[in-house]
Amino acid sequence: MKVSLNWLREFVEFDENALADLLTRAGVEVEGVEKRGVALDKVVVARIVRSERHPNADRLSVCQVDDGSGQPRQIVCGARNFQAGDKVPLALPGAILPGDFRIKASKLRGVESEGMLCSARELELAEDAEGLLILPATARTGAPLAELFPPDTVLDIEVTPNRPDLLSHGGMAREIAALTGKPWKGLDSQAIVHDGGADVRVEAGAECPLYSATRVANVNVGPSPDWLRKKLEAIGSRPINNIVDATNFVMFERGQPLHAFDAGKIEGGIVVRFAREGEEFLALDGRKYILGSRDLVIADSRRVVALAGVMGGEDSGVTGSTTEVILESASFDPAHVRRTARRLGLRSESSHRFERGVDIGNILPSAGRALELMGGAVTGVGIAGNPVRQRREVVLRYARCDALLGTAVGDDRIDRILTGFGLKKGAGWEIPSYRNDLAREVDLIEEVMRVVGMEVIPSKTTARFAASSDADRAYDRDMALRRTLAALGFFEARTLSLVSEGFRRVRNPLNEEQSALRSSLLPGLLRAVETNARFGTKDVRLFELGRVFGAEEETTHVALVMTGASGERSWRDPHPRQADLFDLKGVLAAARLGEIAFEKADGDSLDVLLDGRRAGRAGQAAAVLFAELELPAAAEGAGKGSCRAVGIYPAIARDIALVLPEEIPHGRVLEILRKGNEPLLERAELFDLFSDPEKLPAGKKSLAYSLTYRAKDRTLTADEANAAHARLKELLKAGLDVQFRE
Amino acid sequence: MEEELQRIGAEALTEIARAGSEAEVEASRVKYLGRAGSVSAWSERMKSLAKEEKPRIGKLLNETRAAVAEALERRRAALDSEKDARAFASLDISLPGTPVRPGGLHPITLLQDRAAAVFRRMGFALAEGPDVETEWHCFDALNTPPDHPARNERDTFYLPDGRLLRTHTSTVQIRAMEQAPPPVRIIAPGAAYRRDEIDATHLAQFTQMEGLYVDRGVSVADLKGTLEFFFRELLGAGAKCRFRPHFFPFTEPSFEIDIRARASGKWLELAGCGMVDPAVFEAVNGKRGDAAYDPEEYTGFAFGFGLDRLAMILSDVPDIRGFIENDVRFLSQFR
Repeated sequence: MKVSLNWLREFVEFDENALADLLTRAGVEVEGVEKRGVALDKVVVARIVRSERHPNADRLSVCQVDDGSGQPRQIVCGARNFQAGDKVPLALPGAILPGDFRIKASKLRGVESEGMLCSARELELAEDAEGLLILPATARTGAPLAELFPPDTVLDIEVTPNRPDLLSHGGMAREIAALTGKPWKGLDSQAIVHDGGADVRVEAGAECPLYSATRVANVNVGPSPDWLRKKLEAIGSRPINNIVDATNFVMFERGQPLHAFDAGKIEGGIVVRFAREGEEFLALDGRKYILGSRDLVIADSRRVVALAGVMGGEDSGVTGSTTEVILESASFDPAHVRRTARRLGLRSESSHRFERGVDIGNILPSAGRALELMGGAVTGVGIAGNPVRQRREVVLRYARCDALLGTAVGDDRIDRILTGFGLKKGAGWEIPSYRNDLAREVDLIEEVMRVVGMEVIPSKTTARFAASSDADRAYDRDMALRRTLAALGFFEARTLSLVSEGFRRVRNPLNEEQSALRSSLLPGLLRAVETNARFGTKDVRLFELGRVFGAEEETTHVALVMTGASGERSWRDPHPRQADLFDLKGVLAAARLGEIAFEKADGDSLDVLLDGRRAGRAGQAAAVLFAELELPAAAEGAGKGSCRAVGIYPAIARDIALVLPEEIPHGRVLEILRKGNEPLLERAELFDLFSDPEKLPAGKKSLAYSLTYRAKDRTLTADEANAAHARLKELLKAGLDVQFRE
Repeated sequence: MEEELQRIGAEALTEIARAGSEAEVEASRVKYLGRAGSVSAWSERMKSLAKEEKPRIGKLLNETRAAVAEALERRRAALDSEKDARAFASLDISLPGTPVRPGGLHPITLLQDRAAAVFRRMGFALAEGPDVETEWHCFDALNTPPDHPARNERDTFYLPDGRLLRTHTSTVQIRAMEQAPPPVRIIAPGAAYRRDEIDATHLAQFTQMEGLYVDRGVSVADLKGTLEFFFRELLGAGAKCRFRPHFFPFTEPSFEIDIRARASGKWLELAGCGMVDPAVFEAVNGKRGDAAYDPEEYTGFAFGFGLDRLAMILSDVPDIRGFIENDVRFLSQFR
């Protein structure tokens, strides 16, 4: 909300320089400060008498101006947007313009210039403006420019939704008075009184607890007085005419939105009711809206004339020919106003205030205030509902306040603070009608907190012993895995949970690309690979560890993608080979999640088995290698594990080279070796693989293994190792179509 | 007899001293100490010696064997150290190292982990809750009225079954209190979603860290002390915190926290916090079906902050979209 300090000063005294900080510290955040007007000495209104081309410069002109002193003054000027008779700002010698620009009499290209004619930008009245600022012809020649552009400071304040009482200058002043202890000058206006002279019927009493209509005859619609226009302009509200301006002025002064109907266009009495389903309404913005049965409206006997609290109608508003108006001042249920305003996409200063709740005690005095400004003659007032709010009291225990704040504020101080906010001490604290947000003890404690400030609260550091939770275990497991994968050369990616396809779609997506919860991390990672490729990074290794969404459950997946070369090209290896599936498999194994195996599956991808259980899939998509696994729940006692004693007697290694049909997999060989249960065999490692038609028969391949033999309890003899080796050879021969190469 | 043994010993020592390579040392070892070596051969001859000669010759044999073995070991060590000394002599040591492919953690993860580490040191345990939440956990239980603007379809993603994508991690406060009676002392990092159009400072999905501490006697002083400590640990001892009163439906009093990392820096709004609103305790009690969180007996504080914004500020990231694009040129800058 925009707040003019000039306007504010009518209600309370304050230190302008300290105000923004004072309010911000009290939770009324000042987000912007705007200086308006011209606060410059020696800048006056001048009339251009005549102008001629500069004898020595095509782009300049030499003007004779009247500065009101009676003495003619000569100014050299570079602008061209003026003519003789125009009134323009003149900075006299001695003036200091923004940017510490000192004006002095001088010669420009040989011609005397006694001052400078100014543009709006030079006076900081506009951000960019070409040429001189042409002033209204009515401006008094010689008058200080501050008369036309009174200096003011306008604050942009963020008012939290619980404080509608601050949405006006009067209300903001009341808060400042409470915070500083300065007197608040008040908002006294004569409340209107029901006389039955205006016909009002409220059919929705719960949603409209109070409605007043005041008929005013003999109004003259025309421009508002200058002082009122200036106030509205200062806070960015465009003046329209004296009637509409009066309603807006009262809203900005007292917080109560008002509306004025052209009485001549209202047929019969005013009715506050719900709209009929499908009923049409032509709003002030010129657009037609289709209403529903939950929209609260103001109607006459024929049609809807206003959306309650949101916007008036196009064909019932005040125009230049209006002579009689009906002034509305009322209270509407915040939820209904909000629903209607949102549904129709109509937001206004009025709906903003009604959505947060207006002060029921302020409704009838606000109408009275508007009547003072509008002129004309009141011919009748109709009021429906009760303007007196029920008395409310809230109890505050001083000890509770101290305990919650963690400091002893002092009972007297608490009393002073609450009294300052307009609360009255009795058995409890009586709450004023404009503070509906104060309903519980804790709300009062917050008021105390706002005034005493966080500075007086001590900083207490308390720690507790915290047992680790399932979430702790999962977090530690996940972080360890992330670090391992990073150490293996992968960068961690974080991609969006919303993708184009998944089991669960969002009802109201922003766009199709982000319309469903991901059931896999791969679409996001593949997209990231594309992004990298687009910027020229060809060798990409990324992983992500994050949540994926099934039809019901949320689980944690880890996924890896890999493209390009297996290693970095360098002087060591100018032609690194292309990465392949086994590079990825090696990384999965090195991540030590468990024993990793790949298994052919239906379709293009492979199943990834983790400790023998199907845990995910791997494969290649658009030349990108990928693998994705679901991580099991992190087990309690992770990090513990049994340890086998390592052998202390020397081992004997024997190599074996097998020639096999191409289709027999390595896994089969391993299986046979393992099933032999040879007690001396410690390890069997594949160290060579080839199928060379020059060296091997067609359809054959060679697999070479290094077998390590070791006894647990003694130094193995060569004879023992050879015997075990021979036994394994026999097993392989029995199980496979195999020959041994020497 | 003795002379011969002494001669062999002397010959062995001379030969070993001359050995110019590992292989020559090994050859000498085989020649003298090997199974068929000339020193070893004396062991056989010992058997045939006269009984009275055995101790004398045996002692000499042992001495000779030990001297030869020691010489072999010394020579081997000398050759090794000569080799070590020469190892780099002829190399162009300005060549770059053999490349090891770098990897790394995402900046949000790095920050999240640093933040979590500070809180865990203060005795906060981790907690979590689902991204897909009920309206009750996301709004009702957090004292957010049914007609509150945040609940609108314009601002919040809904699923067809009426559930939603949580708009803040504050849902985990409720989950944690549902699951266990007080005291509760948790933090919960996680994703949150808001229906914001994506631009340089907004994403529809972001990462938050939530915290909650409920116990007897928890006060604003605890809130202040805890969060001041946290931000100083995270940003350095010179960091300043400013608690500015604010409004949130689920805390009362509520504050926004402005942080100034350096004395010359600007105040930046980084977190929201406050004392748990009694209405939140009542909602939890209602769900639990008990009065475990009696607002007269227990009080608590809660806080939350966005990790994306904090990471942007800490690392001068100009565009928040950098965090989701996963360009390795971006990712590789964080450690």
